[in-house]
Amino acid sequence: MINTKEFIVSEFSENILLVSLKDDSKFSDTSSFFLSLSQHLRENIKGAVFTASEKSLSIKYDFCTLPSEELTENLFSEIEKFKPSNKIKTRLKLDIPVLYSEEYGLDIKEISSLCSLSINEIAQIHSSKTYSVKMIGFTPGFAYLGDVDKNLRVPRRVEPRKNLLPGSIGISNNRTGIYSLGGPGGWNILGRTPINLFNPDLDNPFQILPDKQINFYPINKDEFESILNTHKNEY
Amino acid sequence: MNLKASLIPTRMSIEVLSSGLQTTIQDFGRIGWSHLGVPESGPADKYSFSLANRLLNKDISAAAVECTLSGPHLKFLKPMALAITGADMNPLINNQRIELNKVHAVNSEDTLVLSNCLTGCRSYIALSEDIIANKFLGSTSTYIPAKLGGINGSPLEKGLIIKTKENKNYKKDINYNYSEPVRHFSNEWELKVIKGPEFDFLDQKSQEIIFSKKFIVSSESNRMGNRLKGFELNLKKQREIVSCPVSIGTIQCPDGGLPIILGCDSQTLGGYPRILQVALTDMSSLGQLRPNDTITFSKLSIDQARKEFIKELG
Repeated sequence: MINTKEFIVSEFSENILLVSLKDDSKFSDTSSFFLSLSQHLRENIKGAVFTASEKSLSIKYDFCTLPSEELTENLFSEIEKFKPSNKIKTRLKLDIPVLYSEEYGLDIKEISSLCSLSINEIAQIHSSKTYSVKMIGFTPGFAYLGDVDKNLRVPRRVEPRKNLLPGSIGISNNRTGIYSLGGPGGWNILGRTPINLFNPDLDNPFQILPDKQINFYPINKDEFESILNTHKNEY
Repeated sequence: MNLKASLIPTRMSIEVLSSGLQTTIQDFGRIGWSHLGVPESGPADKYSFSLANRLLNKDISAAAVECTLSGPHLKFLKPMALAITGADMNPLINNQRIELNKVHAVNSEDTLVLSNCLTGCRSYIALSEDIIANKFLGSTSTYIPAKLGGINGSPLEKGLIIKTKENKNYKKDINYNYSEPVRHFSNEWELKVIKGPEFDFLDQKSQEIIFSKKFIVSSESNRMGNRLKGFELNLKKQREIVSCPVSIGTIQCPDGGLPIILGCDSQTLGGYPRILQVALTDMSSLGQLRPNDTITFSKLSIDQARKEFIKELG
């Protein structure tokens, strides 16, 4: 059972509450804690919109029909019922092919010198881990995956890029993610996948959901082109 | 294409003769999908948008056309009624000036021409007929970065035909003589705000500057956000913030110190300090900010902001 004293519920605005953990909470370093909590709350509190990040959770609601005091009470009683051991089960595996190269990995040389690793070593380290989803957000279907190997951690770029190619794969500290839409992004880019992970025309538009376990595997340029051609209609 | 929609007889209804700067189909938005990273979208100025639908006795969330800074030229291929609200883009039907906030009838072959606005930024055209557009997660709102909703997920283009179908609830006894007072926008805005969760990250001087100086809307602004210039704010210390939930109206302070007011296509999570939050009562004004307009911020408590909002609801 969770001790609700570990939580702080604060008011962000007229119609948004924030749930966060006190600094000394033992759940502070529990990965995906807020992701599972938000799923629990979404199933049990209707008429509100929940957005989870790694360190907090926001709840947007209609304060005219649901007073904030009442919602806060509901939150605490639901948090008490939530069992962190019921965390999202990550059984479904998703393998993502990546071309790690200077052509698509716009920052791979920079990463190489920052981490003193060759391009092959970067590919090997990045693709040897199994990642879980830490949070979803930013743009449709963008997943923050972790943890990145300690030897491969690089900070965000000082100047974000304005127009990344769709499928670009980036790293920011302990997180890695796929820019399925392309567009603006501030993470260091180490490669590109030819598969599309967000396609609004499919029955399941979102390929990466909290219950997925993600593995990357390196491919060469020929394989990249061939997968890209087979998947062209899905882009 | 939605199968159900395709079974209802539709007609080629409107031809786009020219597109305007960024003209999109919007309904009330894709609300409730932020846990999948999907922005709300919807009209940048919800007040003007809803008013346009209301004038036509339509559901206030029905899809309408949002025009930005300069509007489209349209040719009607069948008779219907329309209402235009928001910024004044000097709307003309067959070269005759028409009033904003009022219902007008158009016939086949009539043209509607919108040009530039001098104040405000967005104009809304609501139609008596229902616009046929792509639906994603229950909404037809156009979100350009992911090509969601609207017509092909994109702004309207010259040559495109907008299809519509008859609105069953549309009342023929519409009052064509009724009009709502027109809001005149200024180039100088005072926005009511609430302190954000990371307001204290600003140094003492910046905490004063933010409530005393005029900021300028940068031309690098769009539906995702309005970038501001004029004064650079300073953060007490450079702190790497883990991405956290943001919302429409959240004002972030990035490393360079130039604030960003997040808009209706805002991302769902953001990694910069959330220094302020625009009060709900002024949220629709965000959609009317145009490059080079000036903004001053005035501070409200959450309770005051709630009261202001309720007062406005009447």
